[in-house]
Amino acid sequence: MMIKGKGISKGIGFGNVVVIKNQEIKIQETTVENTEDELERFKKALQEITTETAEIVNNSSGTEKEIMTAYLMIMQDPSLITETEDLIKNSKYSAEYATEVGLNSVIQIFENMNDEYMAGRARDIVDIKNRLIAKLLKEERVDLSNLKPNTIIVAKELTTSDTAKLNFKNVSGIITEIGGTNSHTSIMARTHSLPAITKVENATEILKNNDYIAIDGESGEIYINPTEEEKNKLLEIQKTISEEKNELEKYKNMESKTKDGYKVELVSNIGTPKDVELVIENTSEGIGLLRSEFLYMDSESMPTEEEQFNAYKEVAEKMEGKPVIIRTLDVGGDKEIKYLNMEKEANPFLGYRAIRLCLDNVDFFKTQLRALLRASAFGNIAIMFPMISSIEELKKAKEIVEECKKELDEKNIAYKKDIKTGIMIEIPSAAIIADKLAKECDFFSIGTNDLIQYTVAVERGNEKISKLYTKYHPAVIKLVKSAIDGAHKAGIFCGMCGEAASDKLLIPLLIGLGLDEFSMNSNKILQSRKTISKLNKKECEELASQILEMASATEVEEKLKEFIEKNV
Amino acid sequence: MKTEKIILKNETGLHARPASEIAKIASKYQCTINLIVNDKTINAKSILNIMAAGIKSSTEIEIQCDGTDEEAALAELLQAFNNNFGE
Repeated sequence: MMIKGKGISKGIGFGNVVVIKNQEIKIQETTVENTEDELERFKKALQEITTETAEIVNNSSGTEKEIMTAYLMIMQDPSLITETEDLIKNSKYSAEYATEVGLNSVIQIFENMNDEYMAGRARDIVDIKNRLIAKLLKEERVDLSNLKPNTIIVAKELTTSDTAKLNFKNVSGIITEIGGTNSHTSIMARTHSLPAITKVENATEILKNNDYIAIDGESGEIYINPTEEEKNKLLEIQKTISEEKNELEKYKNMESKTKDGYKVELVSNIGTPKDVELVIENTSEGIGLLRSEFLYMDSESMPTEEEQFNAYKEVAEKMEGKPVIIRTLDVGGDKEIKYLNMEKEANPFLGYRAIRLCLDNVDFFKTQLRALLRASAFGNIAIMFPMISSIEELKKAKEIVEECKKELDEKNIAYKKDIKTGIMIEIPSAAIIADKLAKECDFFSIGTNDLIQYTVAVERGNEKISKLYTKYHPAVIKLVKSAIDGAHKAGIFCGMCGEAASDKLLIPLLIGLGLDEFSMNSNKILQSRKTISKLNKKECEELASQILEMASATEVEEKLKEFIEKNV
Repeated sequence: MKTEKIILKNETGLHARPASEIAKIASKYQCTINLIVNDKTINAKSILNIMAAGIKSSTEIEIQCDGTDEEAALAELLQAFNNNFGE
């Protein structure tokens, strides 16, 4: 049988289904007669999750081990369960209900503490509570970090914290009921070169645990118990994909330069420290964009300076001196964070987001900046501000960085004294006054996704007008040129971290315009290095001057296609 | 009973990691071990008790050990506090 969805990440996967259901468990107030049996049941459940956690502790190392050890000790702490046991013994509550009530009272103590870090520990206890109740109800909790090899995950939707736990080595595909091309799941799937299909109606009902299926992440086809013929067809596609991949292997560890020796930097966009593996595997030359949102989105409360410092430090150390550009918090717009209590706005993309929000909330902005500065002592970190639209914002942000440096100096805490600060060029006003902004910072990175949407006034997610959203619009290209020229006039470098940076058609134009750094998903690095190696800088410059004369996006796209066909 | 007063130097206070260090050490000993902070008594063998107390940096803490192995327990705890829990 074959069902179909929308392919969002290329590749073929064969494997067994694991369905993830994230239903909220509601516990009813129930009482029991035999309190001793009930107490026994509770203790057994606790014993089971303790054993499971102890195993994780044994198999982990470093910071993770420390965190898991503390978590295990909370689990083993007698005062965690005093109240729960009392409720079973004296109020004759069922084990499930007693756990719910008893642990909630502990959770409250932590939630009410006037300390963001401690309040954050409440979520550890919530997690323990949920695991206990699941055990008591004998519900199988899917352990995402411990899947069997060749698992195909089927879910309504994967949350950020789900994917953070995933052990990708054992996953051979992902199927979800909801989510688009730019959803978190699809970006993550493409980053890890995992086939993924979305918009599969009722997938979590149709597909059952342990079903053997085969999927094609490009066509969106899902074969349940595939026939020999179907299998062979997919294996054929898989072969082509792996041949293409092998061809790209040659470009590992090569310099990124054109035929005539013009060198550029090819670096990665990443979303979490876990992604560093792929950065290294694809011999990317650094990190052009580390989105710091993961720290905030995965968390129930504001991440502390310590938590942030550890995450940034981990990335900086793993990159061994290669550049790591970390973007300060970029929320608002389409990215919401519960505990910031952001108001709903009529035009979130034109609203209170990113640097605008940070400059108004200096305390939490400083928490992040101090963490970044401290981590800079362990590697080549640079700080990047998003959504800069004016020189005032840039100056204000830099002032706050200077204040943080002073605070660290007073405490004799080390940081990289000559740490670079730069900005995203993603608002047309910034691109237009790029020459002025360039005098106040150390680098630019052009964020094309937002720059396009603000230039052509088309919201990225709105399908009715998506045809108007194009990276080949001559106005967008003019703004890119303005940013690059502005940077070079002031003697600073200009990169690009939007999707356009890895667009095969645009690469020759960007080389021609003089872009210094291309930042993209790690899995695009080798392909882009190959493209660049076939180009000639002089010819790209000629191409650029022709393109700059053009009036329509269609014309631009056709010209770029023609150029690529001729040269690459 | 053996007691000793110290000032917490650890900059971020007794968060999960140092709290787990203390509870881990305390649990090795037979004797009763309490931390007295602002007149509150905290069971040093309970990581939850320690964390729930939300002890901030520069707070005065009295360590009380009472039982057969009180001397050794106090010595090891003092050492952990003085080393800032390795931070």
